[in-house]
Amino acid sequence: MARVEFQHALDTLEAALQDLGTVSLRAVRGALDALESQDVELCDEVIAFDDEIDDRYHRLEKMVAQLLALETPVAGDLRLVLAILHGGIHLERIGDQSVTIAKLTKLSATLQQRAGLVEGLHEMGERAEEMVRVALDSFASRDVARARSLVELDELIDRTNRRVAGQVLEFVDDPASAEWGMRMIVVSRCIERIGDNAVDIGEQTEFVVTGEFREFGDASH
Amino acid sequence: MTTPEIDRTRLGALAEPASGDGRGDDVVFDVRDLSVSYSGNVALKDATLQVRENYVTAFIGPSGCGKSTFIRVFNRMNDLIDGARVEGTVLYHDRDLYGDGVDPVEVRRRIGMVFQKPNPFPKSIYDNIAFGPRVLGMKKGLDERVERALQSAALWDEVKDRLKENALGLSGGQQQRLCIARAIAVEPDVILMDEPASALDPISTSRIEDLIHDLKRSYTIVIVTHNMQQAARVADMTAFFSVEVRDDGGRHGVLVEYDRTTKIFTNPSDRRTEDYVTGRFG
Repeated sequence: MARVEFQHALDTLEAALQDLGTVSLRAVRGALDALESQDVELCDEVIAFDDEIDDRYHRLEKMVAQLLALETPVAGDLRLVLAILHGGIHLERIGDQSVTIAKLTKLSATLQQRAGLVEGLHEMGERAEEMVRVALDSFASRDVARARSLVELDELIDRTNRRVAGQVLEFVDDPASAEWGMRMIVVSRCIERIGDNAVDIGEQTEFVVTGEFREFGDASH
Repeated sequence: MTTPEIDRTRLGALAEPASGDGRGDDVVFDVRDLSVSYSGNVALKDATLQVRENYVTAFIGPSGCGKSTFIRVFNRMNDLIDGARVEGTVLYHDRDLYGDGVDPVEVRRRIGMVFQKPNPFPKSIYDNIAFGPRVLGMKKGLDERVERALQSAALWDEVKDRLKENALGLSGGQQQRLCIARAIAVEPDVILMDEPASALDPISTSRIEDLIHDLKRSYTIVIVTHNMQQAARVADMTAFFSVEVRDDGGRHGVLVEYDRTTKIFTNPSDRRTEDYVTGRFG
């Protein structure tokens, strides 16, 4: 195969995306654990860890810029480079969502919680985490069918997210829990956005394989 | 999240696609099952494509793929080679280019050509441009015609004060633009360019490419290029040719894929095109 160095650079870039995925997933896990255990120290760690994610994203972005400038990739190579950049942006945002969850958890640590809702959010979070894994794996294996399965997983999260507001409304008259409930609506929304980001990464898998960009369902709306 | 249904019929101008500039509406060359051989050796086999009016059409592919052979079919340059044989149909504005009664000299007036190496006559800049019109009896308003051709080729400002000087004193890039001006001076319909910038430095190359963008408003351009990025930059349509090895060990060129340039360089349909444009060929 010709262009050995270029192929090596592409492989390195793809490994950098998966590496960014791994650290973003670590942030999601940390935020979910902190939410469940109300661990303020862990919240701080998740917030500080975002610099690590941002650094990796910026390194990835720089690699993409260099590849475009020096190797002028076209066709399948161009699609891969664009998809990696796009995927990287979504992973960086997943990191940002985790930070927001950690900050809200920290702010709510002294407020009165409702056990049922915490459990629901945690389950939702685990689903979102799984979605990010599926998105990264299906991208690595160029498995369009598996990437498309993200739509169904996302629907489950969306459904739970829609229920959260209703659950909070049930205890909004209780001043001790109302503020906590409001904050949890935002946490729920953050988890829901992580799912959407995973779907977006899945769409990039289809773009790399087929050259056509199509939104999977209505996940981004 | 729920998605509001969007009624696209109510979007008005927002939903309208950008209007085209009218280029590409008509077919200039309609080529069907074209095969060319030299003394019995097949150089290009069964190529079918249409060249559209005011488009820049690029032919790309490795050496020996038949792209230069093909472009020479358009102005019957292969007629000048002993043993060359052209089979298939080549319609030019619906007329058979190889039909009885078609005068190859008239064909070459309408379909001009610019070659890889600039080849000005060893005459003055003015005479280089005036030569074709004089031969064709276009003697009226010759000065204006020369100026117009040089302006169209973006060379006028550089040579207007030295029209009587020998054209061989111009730089390589200027000489190539002179050759383009010379082709334009006889009011052609089509300009064929066979590797027009491959002997030029990057700045002269980008001048030629800018010129191609300007010229496509008035002319149909077919360009053969080894430089894939050049095809990507200048062409509306790109044809990729490859070499096929026959059972008897012989080789000939084939047209693999012909599509919009953006499609060829972002999502080609054929694996061979993908391998070539991404540099995985060979």
